[in-house]
Amino acid sequence: MTTRIDLTVNGRARSVDVEPHHTLLEMLRDDLGLTGTKECCLVGECGACTVIVDGQSVDSCLVLGVEAAGAAVTTVEGLAVGDRLDPLQEAFLETGAAQCGFCIPGQLISARALLDELPHPTRTEIEEGLAGNLCRCAGYEQIMEAVELAASRGRGAEAAPHHAVSGGVDVASTPDARVAPQ
Amino acid sequence: MRAFAYERPDRLADALGFLASGDGSARPLAGGTDLIIRLRDGTLQPRTVVDVKGIAEFSRDIRVEDGWLQIGARTTMTDLLRDERIRRDYTALAEAAAYVGSVQIRNRATLVGNICNASPAADTAPALLVHGARVVAVGQAGRRTIPLEDFFVKSGVTTLQPGELVEAIEMPLAVGRRSSVHARRTRRRGHDLASVTLAVAIGTDGITRLSYGSVGPRPVVVDDESGLLSDPSASEASRRERLDAMFVDAAPSPTSMRASPEYRLAMLRVMGLRAVAAAHERLAS
Amino acid sequence: MSDVVGGGAPRVGGLDRVTGRQAYVADIPVEDVLHVKLVTLPVARARIGRIDDTAACAIPGVRIVMSAKDLPDPMPRFGPQRRDRPVIAIGETKYHGDPVAAVAAETKDAAEEGARLVRVDYEELPAAHTLATALAHDAALVQDPSLRPDDPHAGTNVLHEHRHSWGDIDSATADVVVEGTYQFPMVTQFAIEPHAFMAAPDGDGIAVWSAIQHPNWLQRVIAELLRLPLAKVRIHAPDPGGAFGGKQHAKYEPLLAFMALATGRPVRLVLTLEETFQAVRRGAAQVHVRTGFQRDGTLVFRDVEANYQIGAYADIADRTVAKGSYTSMGPYRTPSVRIVARSVLSHTVPSTAFRGFGNPQQIWAVESNMNEAARVLDIDPLELRLKNLARPGDEFIPGDTPADGDWAVAVRRAAAMIDWGTPPPAGRGRGIAVGLKSGPTTGLSYSTVRLLVDGSVVVYAGTSDMGQGARTIFAQIAADELGAPLEWVTVVSGDTAVVPYDQQTSASRSSVFMGTAVQRACRDIQAKVRSMAATLEGVDEGDVTVERGRVRIGQQVMDIPDVVKRGLGRLGGEIIGIGEMRKEAEPDHTLGGTAAFYEFNCTAVEVEVDRETGDISIPRYVTVSDVGRALNPLQVRGQDEGAAVMGLGHTLMEHYIWDDAGRIRNLGAIDYRIPTSMDLPASMESDIVENGDGPGPYGSKGMSEGALLPVSPAVAAAVTDATGAVIRDLPRSPERVWQPLHERGASEASR
Repeated sequence: MTTRIDLTVNGRARSVDVEPHHTLLEMLRDDLGLTGTKECCLVGECGACTVIVDGQSVDSCLVLGVEAAGAAVTTVEGLAVGDRLDPLQEAFLETGAAQCGFCIPGQLISARALLDELPHPTRTEIEEGLAGNLCRCAGYEQIMEAVELAASRGRGAEAAPHHAVSGGVDVASTPDARVAPQ
Repeated sequence: MRAFAYERPDRLADALGFLASGDGSARPLAGGTDLIIRLRDGTLQPRTVVDVKGIAEFSRDIRVEDGWLQIGARTTMTDLLRDERIRRDYTALAEAAAYVGSVQIRNRATLVGNICNASPAADTAPALLVHGARVVAVGQAGRRTIPLEDFFVKSGVTTLQPGELVEAIEMPLAVGRRSSVHARRTRRRGHDLASVTLAVAIGTDGITRLSYGSVGPRPVVVDDESGLLSDPSASEASRRERLDAMFVDAAPSPTSMRASPEYRLAMLRVMGLRAVAAAHERLAS
Repeated sequence: MSDVVGGGAPRVGGLDRVTGRQAYVADIPVEDVLHVKLVTLPVARARIGRIDDTAACAIPGVRIVMSAKDLPDPMPRFGPQRRDRPVIAIGETKYHGDPVAAVAAETKDAAEEGARLVRVDYEELPAAHTLATALAHDAALVQDPSLRPDDPHAGTNVLHEHRHSWGDIDSATADVVVEGTYQFPMVTQFAIEPHAFMAAPDGDGIAVWSAIQHPNWLQRVIAELLRLPLAKVRIHAPDPGGAFGGKQHAKYEPLLAFMALATGRPVRLVLTLEETFQAVRRGAAQVHVRTGFQRDGTLVFRDVEANYQIGAYADIADRTVAKGSYTSMGPYRTPSVRIVARSVLSHTVPSTAFRGFGNPQQIWAVESNMNEAARVLDIDPLELRLKNLARPGDEFIPGDTPADGDWAVAVRRAAAMIDWGTPPPAGRGRGIAVGLKSGPTTGLSYSTVRLLVDGSVVVYAGTSDMGQGARTIFAQIAADELGAPLEWVTVVSGDTAVVPYDQQTSASRSSVFMGTAVQRACRDIQAKVRSMAATLEGVDEGDVTVERGRVRIGQQVMDIPDVVKRGLGRLGGEIIGIGEMRKEAEPDHTLGGTAAFYEFNCTAVEVEVDRETGDISIPRYVTVSDVGRALNPLQVRGQDEGAAVMGLGHTLMEHYIWDDAGRIRNLGAIDYRIPTSMDLPASMESDIVENGDGPGPYGSKGMSEGALLPVSPAVAAAVTDATGAVIRDLPRSPERVWQPLHERGASEASR
């Protein structure tokens, strides 16, 4: 028995008929065709499936699709605006952070959530902030450098908000809005 | 994952109704970070999953009620970490919450869920126990409070009655100066299930509360009323002796994958001493 | 060199990787695809009885339940070394996770439900899941002896015993003999992309999708099993999301192919992470080392006896044992050597290739032995190594490629970087170790390169781009040779219907083998351009030189594209170049061929040990590889640092845990720990030695495994330096480090 839910994905209003026992990860990949979000451990350990829901990073394998009703979801496909890459994407390319690339969507999303909360994190904060994203190519050094590089450049005033577009109100630009709406 | 029905009631009464009806297999869903793993691996096969996040009576706030600090059923680990009061007056709990999973998990996992799962390794349990926490349970028969030390029975089992939900966890407001510390042992620095968890709270009233988990079916809490552990000038040897006596209820499983009983017991002692010392340092600063 | 090769070229495929557009096997949209779920038993070894699929077939959407009875009789078998692996378990399961049936259904839900409902009667049988039980005289045999006629080991679980020796070890006299037995744990590749497979009927043939490192090898396997001509088997090999050797050889592709043909539909199987743990792993090993020295530290002999615990099928594991053990004397001049290494079958997950290919196991042992020897001899471990290290050109393995690098440079560099020779800060210790690996012993790579009329370039190269950045290297070479801007070069790979043959992506070979093939294809084009220029300018070909994108006739210099545009004329067209790189087998050689090159790395670490808890932290980590020439320094760094961190995994935390019945207890990511971003050394420095002395383009060597090789012995030596405790088991969990410190503390207290 599917349930129809409405949500915003990468700034776009979507209606999805979702099985209650399907996760947000399955819904994104199988129902919406957004395969940039990856499936690996399915127990919230590897972070390959990380997406932002209402301003907070979550493992989409541990969220039911139906739980995302009314939410604003950002996946890796929503980081770039048109052909303009997010500064994190640029930085990942520059430092050689993406090797096989499979963990990279999750790393980028976690990094985006981190920088939205802490625009100038310390190295330790970056390591802790991305600890929920395993990389077996273990390009961690270059990933950490990429986040530092992106942070040093800032978001850029002209950069459009990528997420947290909830109920038609853009709340991404105010720092307090990172906590999910009640 | 096997199919189930999903309900997201707005009202507590409806939620309790869903839990009470049917074959009794219905499970509440809060953060889902444990539940969904068990739904997928088939250890839980409910007909209905009841999402408690829509219940109007259930709060995500951390607020003071009648001399207690109340943490609502929807409060996440991230919420705890961001709360200035928790960090200041209930430091061990903030430290414990910071160790739960990764950022992604903490953004989702609730304190109440962590307690209701009753994992012997639950990070927050010892911290809550040293702060004298109690559980506010609500069922169709009404509301009741359960001291946390009477809540845990064994791995996965609590004294919660079928059909009851935990509405909040409460800790008494701090009286006098107090400092608390959380410590744990893991196999790596990145997030991991603990092989030993421990918390200690030292007050200026001379009572030291110690709690430890992951070394038996349920977390243990024990008080030192002798004043020895709260004495900043006590020798390490005397502290060691006192702590050893307080660890008598530790009974680590011999079949654990994470560490041997011998190591766990030895680490309890090391961590206990270090935690007491750290708590004194904190109190002095 | 130009600024393209050796420069920081951005990764080919990088943009797709950061935008989520990179399509891995699980991401490829396929119409009408059926989803496959495997059926396994909760035991290691069992006699398979009746398989009842009635309930499973009654699930709406279930299309087929395939088990042994649905496959040809006799059961088709495959394997890169021995054809011992059935398409699906027949008669008996051999390890925990050995599939007995597979369900294909219209939805994932139906496939899972169907798989749960397949009823399998079975009788559990005794399993040999440890080295000790597998080598016991009354051991349960993994392979039916009747399948091993004329094999002296047929009545045992020893699949093969490899022997290699020189000198005379029995009459060698040493002043000091240092001896020890070292354990290397069973670990798994844990690519973040779980293995995924698809198959579909394709005209009168079949198409198979797999994140496979060796598409052409898979093509042969499928063609043979299905009795199809190679040209009717098309392998699509999208970039793997990490492979590390675990995706070299066929696993479930044959099963999927049979299911696709049986249903007439595309079928897809995406393993769970748990299932990948049950599909691939590295061989565990117990290595006994005896090394003889003269009093001054000069090596006299080395005697190694290694038992590698491989799994239930040979896969490529026996080759990892042969090749891994072969270099057990390390990069040293050793007058007498005797190496005995056994591949021991067991009722466990088939072990296969994994970064380092059998070497990390023996290097853990022999380099730890060197460090112990340094203590016994009271010689600095750095000096002990420098004293015995082979010099460039030394034939340190009789009959094999002489030392192809100035390895002492790398060793001295690493030592200097960690401030070797100065006392470490209080409470800390330092350790150093080296790793040597014999590169590919044979190889064959073809490349086709098309220079298009506008000067842009298409390179066809069948290397699997699994994260090492192979396509980037080929694009750099082509851009450099043909004078095209890097962004005008396209590299096509991963489709056997389009791309010419490549033997395999393994042994860090691709820059050397395929890189050379690409370079030769480009030079083939250069030759054609030379002739074209000669005709256009009315000069002799001998007066024209073409190199690095430029055409020269006397003082006249033209860009290649300008010549080509004119030369191709009104019809346009293109210039096609063909390149080949081949290293023939040498049948008389122990390994079937000499080393194309050696990978060499020196690792030095500084650790701090919490003596009360056994926690190890690594304030400083240094890794130095001899790469010949870094074609892309950014990628070289990624490979070296990634290999180092991966090595820290098996050094500090990774291992399978088994129950008494041979079942894996720590399946999945919760209790099998790999390093996270919080488990890195506080400071990691990587450096390279570039002497241009490799056989690859511009003097390059292969380099993707070297930095993993000496991680464990370097860390262990540092722990010993800090605490005095010698530990010969991995992983060095805090408990393992604590144990001897605690015991020593207790015995000191009781004195």
